[in-house]
Formats: sequence, structure tokens, C-alpha cells
Amino acid sequence: MKEDLNDQDYYLEVEAPHVTKHWKPGQFVIIMTHEKGERVPLSVATINGGRVGMFIKKLGKTSVELYREFRVGSSLYAVSGPLGKPLKLEDYGTVVLASDAVCGHAEQLGLAQELAKLGNKVISIQTFKTEKEVYPEKYLTTKYADEHYITTLDGTAGYKGHYIDLLRELVARREVKAVFAGGALASLKKLAEATAGLDAKVYALVRTIMVDGTGMCGSCRVRYNGVIAYACRDGPWFDARLVDWDDVLRRDARFKKIEKIALEKYLAR
Amino acid sequence: MVKKRFTPEVLSVSERLRSFGEVVLGYDYETSVREASRCLRCPLWFAPCSKACPLKVKVPAFLEYIVKGDLEAAARKVYEDNLFPSITGRVCPQEWFCEGNCVVSKIGESVSVGLLERYVGDYARENGLDEKILAEMVSKNSGVKGRVAVVGSGPAGLSVAGWLRLRGYEVVVYEALHRPGGVLAYGIPEFRLPRSVLDHELKKIENLGVEIRLNHVVGKTVLLSELTSEYDAVFIGSGAGTPKLLDVPGVDLNNIYTANEFLTRVNLMRAHLFPEWDTPINVGKTTVIIGGGNTAMDAARVALRLGSKPVVVYRRDREDMLKTARRDEVLHAEEEGVEFKYYLQPVEFIGDENGFVKAVKFEVMEPLNELDQRGKKKIVGTGRYVEIPADAVVIAIGLEPNRVLMEESGLRFNEDGTIAVDDHLMTSLPGVFAGGDAIRGESTVVEAMADGKRAAEEIDLYVRRKKELA
Repeated sequence: MKEDLNDQDYYLEVEAPHVTKHWKPGQFVIIMTHEKGERVPLSVATINGGRVGMFIKKLGKTSVELYREFRVGSSLYAVSGPLGKPLKLEDYGTVVLASDAVCGHAEQLGLAQELAKLGNKVISIQTFKTEKEVYPEKYLTTKYADEHYITTLDGTAGYKGHYIDLLRELVARREVKAVFAGGALASLKKLAEATAGLDAKVYALVRTIMVDGTGMCGSCRVRYNGVIAYACRDGPWFDARLVDWDDVLRRDARFKKIEKIALEKYLAR
Repeated sequence: MVKKRFTPEVLSVSERLRSFGEVVLGYDYETSVREASRCLRCPLWFAPCSKACPLKVKVPAFLEYIVKGDLEAAARKVYEDNLFPSITGRVCPQEWFCEGNCVVSKIGESVSVGLLERYVGDYARENGLDEKILAEMVSKNSGVKGRVAVVGSGPAGLSVAGWLRLRGYEVVVYEALHRPGGVLAYGIPEFRLPRSVLDHELKKIENLGVEIRLNHVVGKTVLLSELTSEYDAVFIGSGAGTPKLLDVPGVDLNNIYTANEFLTRVNLMRAHLFPEWDTPINVGKTTVIIGGGNTAMDAARVALRLGSKPVVVYRRDREDMLKTARRDEVLHAEEEGVEFKYYLQPVEFIGDENGFVKAVKFEVMEPLNELDQRGKKKIVGTGRYVEIPADAVVIAIGLEPNRVLMEESGLRFNEDGTIAVDDHLMTSLPGVFAGGDAIRGESTVVEAMADGKRAAEEIDLYVRRKKELA
């Protein structure tokens, strides 16, 4: 099943019972479209019986191809997982979930449900550029959170600003004990700075370029607390304030140039 | 007798640089008969070649059949001990095993056992004899003796799966990646082991009745505890999957790859065919490869074929490098124009303003008059430094076991991260066996296959005993 979330993001649900059996919040999957495809790590948004639902942004060749050429009845070449470490969640008290892009929005759904189950008060903040980009209600974290906020950068819907701005306001007047944030890496770097003195656990989803996803290649390596960690094996969730974000941002740009070529070639086909 | 070995056809250097085609083209029939005739036919109870072989292939016996021109009999003889002659014949460091112990080498060049094994294996494969021989071997069993799960479809896993099938077991192999073969698929480049050969060997094992479940990460997709409760026994052949990195400044810079990433992108994901295949790779004018083992040779020759100029930098000398890399690969790398620099140890990676590596700083090392435990010269720094420009760097200094399985499995591990096993290759968990790099650290394909073969025997004994008691 495939559905538009907005102009660039879409929801894709695939049958993969071998992945859903042991999946826990925090874990991700790797998919391949076809034999010649890349191994693409994706966050899990929903688990429906034996089906995995993902949020995907039409960004590179694979995501565009997947959107254009796969429909109900198509088969992915490979779905592997669950990968990564499950998050060890507990009853923290008041927890904030924050995100501003596909992977973060996806992770919120599972996290909100699990955290609520453990007794937390869950506050969800989801940031979009503008009102037009806000996801349909059923794909937002609204119904799983005790409080739910939409923020838009231009103020056309909800709070005007980024999740970091709202988070700053929240922590000033409420006792937030844990933050789980995902989405754009540059925002996560700012989040780490914004929460530097905060007496709370702050976890970030460190999205990196992976190949195998099982700790075999080191493509996803991250400078964490001074040593090298593998996002696929030791993450993908890390204490945001111990991550070397400059390192993460630099390594994320590794293939930017060459990936543009792949997309252009595909679109010109 | 002929003191010199007969040389096989090889692809011309110019041809090699334009493709990933196999470099060594192997013997033809006449040459293989001539080469096999150089064997002195040591009796099997003595034959040092066979004794030195981890799989104990009866070398003089199969060579004798080649001399007689009976290639089917030669193939049968090889298959008694080795199910994958087309693989071992290509990738074994024969100079450390059979050929290194050949009696002929005392008076001339050793017999080219590897090339002959490959010739027999290829002949069997190309003429459908391998499937026929295996079908006969498996038909000797009646009924199912038990069910075994195998973790990993690399050399150890494929070997134990094959041998267990031949002993009458049902076998299911769990592979984490989307393609089977383990290091044979992601690690060894096509110019050493063509895809078509590997694909055939995998098909052969599947045709034998072994089921391979792809995209199944044991410890994540399936738990070890599920395998132990569903199967009569489990074999772990998960390899030495995690690369070691250098703890020097700048190691996080862009375009610094571990050998595993570099080779996986090309061998498994076909990045050299980008953008027809989706996975990219960045090299540049110069690729510096750090290390002196087979992986370093493979990475250097891959870089060369990607259009980059490879410089292999090793902290010891060539003589010591030949103790860690297969001789043929070093020779091929040299004739292909790979540059080698010795006695240099990396101390820093230097980046440009965008965070991409642009040079590597090395300390000049010098040897001491003293050997380490592995028989290599001890080295010390001189305090002098050199810089080598680099657009990409590949770190090929070794691997350690992959820890994905470790979490919550209950297995006992050695200090170096390898899985602890007893004399019967059984781990700390009853009924769970292990072999290959998972127990050895970094080792060879043939030793992993030998572990698989021995584990099949041990598992057979274990399961039969367990069933008798039940």
C-alpha cells in the first residue's frame, strides 16, 4: 500500500512478517528495490500484523523510483531487519518527541505508543515547513500523544517556528525528563546545543549512510563520546549530546555529488 | 623431471585494467596433464601436501587421475574431501599449505596443486559432473537424520551445510545479506573469483537440498534461542565481520573507507557499474591502501580498475607481506602497476576544507633484529615523517568478529571477541557449534571450509547421540 503524506513524502506499507516478528521501537529496516538497487535504511512508522509501514521522502533515485514504479502487488527485492538496537525505554515522567522530517515523524508513532504504555506523559512536536506539508491526521502522532503540537516554519499552521523553539519554551515551564528527536541532522545538532544544560535524557536518531546494516562495513560510523560507534549496530539512537554532529554532517555529504547524477540520469530516462 | 612449473594463461595487463575479468585463466587439458605429471606421487600416508591441506585433499591421488586423463575420477577423488574445488583452487594461499610442503619444491618449483584442483573443479562444473557426484553421494542416505540451522552462508556455512546434507540432514542456512556467499560475495573481487563460478557453487549447494533464507539477521530477525529450539543443532559461521579502524586523527574524514566498505560497495553492490547499479563509490586520482594482506591487495586492484592510482603502504617489508598475502595476488598487483611503499606507519589523515581526505602522514619505521611471535620482524618508529597525497584511503588492517550475534545470545566469547569452542567445535551452548573466522579471527577460506567439514561430523555425532538418549 502506498499513500501521499504531502508533496514529497509518502507512506509505503510492505508485507515482511520476518521483520515484524521481533521489531521493537528504535529499530529500522533496510530495503532494496531491485537486484541493482542500493541498500536503503528506513525508519519504521507502523507495524500492522506482518506488514511494515515506512515514511519515505522523494529525495534520491531509489525513493523516486520506488514511488513511481512500485504499486500494490509489486515486490521489493529485499527487506531486511529489524536492524539496530531497540531503545531501552522506561517511565521517565514527561517525555517530548520531536521531529522535522520523514525518519523522525515515522519513529514518533512507535515511540509514542510504547512510551505511553510505560506510563509516560507524551508530548509530541512535529515540524513542517508550511501548512501544505502537514501530514494527514492519521499519520500524525496526535492520537498517541497526551499533547500534540504542529509547528510550521512560516506559521501557516500551529505554532510558528521549529520544534527546537517550542521545546525551549516547554522545558522552561515544564519538567521534561526525556527527549527523543529525529529528522534533519542539522536540527539535531542544534537540539544538542539547545539542551546542553538540560537535566533530561536527550536521544537523537542518527541517520547515516549504510551498506550492510549489520556492523560489517563501517560506512555508518559515528564519532560518539570520543570513540567510533556504528549507527547500524550501536544505534541508530544515541545520546544527542555525546554525538559529534559535525562529523555526522560531514560524512552525510559524502556522496551528495554522485547521487545527484544518479537521480538526474533516472529522471532523464 | 621438469623442475619448473607450467604457467597458466593470464589476462594481459591492459585487458585487466579495463575490466573485472578473471586474471588467471587457468590450465587447459594438455598443460594440466603435464603439470600433474611433475608430481612424485608420494604415498598418501606420507604425502606432505595432503597433510598440510586443511581439508586433507588426497592430492597425489587426484593428480594421478589427471595424468591418466580420467578427469571424472579425479573430480570424485577431490569431492571426497572438498566440495568446492573451483573456489579453493582459486583463492587458497597454496604456498602456505599443499604447495608449500610439496616434496618437489626441494629440488625445483612445487607442483601447481591449486591450478590443478581448479582445473578439475571447473571441468566437473562445466560438464555437470559435480551435480552428478553430489547426487550420488547424497543418495546413500535414507530418511532424515535431523534438522540443522546454519548461521551465515560464507565458506564455513556453505561447507557445513553441504557436508550435513551428504550425511542425511535437512539444512536451513540463514544469511543476513540479500545475496549468499558471505566473504566470497562481498570480499573477494570478481577478478579472483568470478560471479558465475560463485553462483554455480551456491546453486550446487541449493540443488543438494539446502535452503538459504536471505535477509535474515540471526540475533535480530531470528533469535539464536529460536534456532536452538526449532533445530537439532545449530552451526555459527558468521565470520569476522567487523573491520578494525586506525586510532589516529582524521580517520573520520570523507573518502576514508574500511576495506570491507570499499570492497562491499564494489563486489556485492557493483558500484563500479554506477549509475546502472545504484550504489556509488568515490575514488579519485590516488587511493592509498593501508595494510599488507590479501584484502589490501584486493582493494588496491579494485581501486586500479576504478581508474584510481593505488599506493599500498605497509609498515613492514615485502618479505613480511608475503606472510600475510597470497603470493600470486602480490605478483599480480605489482605487474598491474600498483605502487608499494614499505616501512611506513600512518599517524594522521589530513583533510581539505570540505572534510575530504587529501593526504596521509606516515612515520618512517625501521626493523629491529628481532622477530615477533608470527615470525615477522619487529619494527620501531624513527621519528621521521612523510606525507603521501590521497583522494581516497582504504584501511585494510584486519577484522574482528561481528558482535551482532553477541547481544543476549548467551554464548561465551574469548577475549579477542571470537566465539569460544571446545575440541568438538561446540560453543558454550549445548548443540550450538561454530567455525571459520567466528572462532579463528581472521583466517582463510579453506580453513573455514575445513571447520565446516569437521563440524558436520561433530554435529552428526551429537545429534545421533541425542536421539539415542531420547
